[in-house]
Amino acid sequence: MNVQNTPEKYEGKHTADATTVEEGLAIQEEQAKYDDDFATETAMSNTLLTPRFYTTDFDELDAIDVSPVRGEWDRLIAQMEADPNKGHFKKNDDWDTVDWENMEPQLKKEFIDFLISSCTAEFSGCVLYKEMKRRGNNEDITRLFQLMARDEARHAGFINDALREAGLRVNLGFLTQKKKYTYFRPKFIYYATYLSEKIGYARYITIFRHLQENPQHRFHPIFKWFEEWCNDEFSHGEAFALLMKTDPKLTKGKNVLWIKFFLTAVYSTMYVRDHQRPAFHKALGVDPDWYAHEVFTKTSKLSEQIFPITLDIEHPRWQPGLEKMQKANADLAQAKEDGRFFAKLGAQARAVSAFVSLLLIPAKKHQVPAQTRLEPAY
Amino acid sequence: MGLLTKEIERAPCTVEISHKFESLHAHVRFNNGAVIYPGDEVQVHGGEIMAPFGEIVSEDREATIIRASKLERLWTRLTGDFEIMELCEFSFSEEVTL
Repeated sequence: MNVQNTPEKYEGKHTADATTVEEGLAIQEEQAKYDDDFATETAMSNTLLTPRFYTTDFDELDAIDVSPVRGEWDRLIAQMEADPNKGHFKKNDDWDTVDWENMEPQLKKEFIDFLISSCTAEFSGCVLYKEMKRRGNNEDITRLFQLMARDEARHAGFINDALREAGLRVNLGFLTQKKKYTYFRPKFIYYATYLSEKIGYARYITIFRHLQENPQHRFHPIFKWFEEWCNDEFSHGEAFALLMKTDPKLTKGKNVLWIKFFLTAVYSTMYVRDHQRPAFHKALGVDPDWYAHEVFTKTSKLSEQIFPITLDIEHPRWQPGLEKMQKANADLAQAKEDGRFFAKLGAQARAVSAFVSLLLIPAKKHQVPAQTRLEPAY
Repeated sequence: MGLLTKEIERAPCTVEISHKFESLHAHVRFNNGAVIYPGDEVQVHGGEIMAPFGEIVSEDREATIIRASKLERLWTRLTGDFEIMELCEFSFSEEVTL
């Protein structure tokens, strides 16, 4: 085993090596101190990270030619390589002490769920991007994925530190478990990750701006780091937008239906998940309906850079559709818990029908600009 | 590779785990150039690898790759896309109540 940054291990003598009683006691005392530290470490609850493993069509990735967007591409890569956020993810005096002990229990649960889910997502992103970097032979593409993997690992490390403060320790033991690799087509990876990065930006910046105005609701210092954090998400989204721009087919014809599907799925999933965390939003002083509308508005505006359609979130069927979906999802969980088969079936049917109804709302069409790149402006 | 039969191979690999503040990541690299295809399963042998906080641990291990059958590979390619929403980040787990 090759350990870098050798840890402070107890490497003193064993009591059996002691030649006098005093020495034996001294060794015992030293050993006890080490055991104490060790106990504190291991007493922390273990949280097993469970990222998924994917493969894709690496030949298709290699075949990408960024020359149609070369100018914009090179500027973006140069900006990412300059790494303006490098010094940002450090704890400084702005990191206030968190009173985990006295945090309201439900809020604590929901906030820890937030930290663990975010950490896993960053971590999975890192695994996926690193895999694409390693398997690819196209230098433009591998460089981009290397840079994105760096950012995700940095974010994961930062969240991990907040988790440690809360007494939670991530366990990376998943690596030795048996794992199956699933497969995603490259274009689906573009649609899903592009949207995920952009909606992530919109989510973080909306909370950041809200807390700038209402600092009394900032119940944890991590929110102070959201601004630069989401700028990383923003540039990752830009990279995927440029990737899609290299092949006009990706945003035309029947692929527009896929785009609509992804927009609807991502927006409605976000709505449902946010409404399942009432204590978190209450503590932030944020109404989840207002928040969802804000985030969708920003994401739609941004996604006009590459998608020829946006969802009509002002349509009379939009909000009721989301509410139906959320209700059906809650009923489904309840029915599962109670073991009521027909109630479960009914809730599933209602969830599907709500989703289809959202999907059938006519989309707004518009002209995609010739220049793709945007700067974070919210 | 048979239509229905799985093949099993062993490959030396290097596992790297970074448990540092600056970077939390973990990767497995096959040292004999083995390539993973859709539906394949990978098991790294040996005990759990734990990196104490603040360290990068890199360890050479042996891995078993259980190759998917032709049919399974095709199936994974056709159906894998259904799970794509996993790539999206929603800040919260899917648990309805905590």
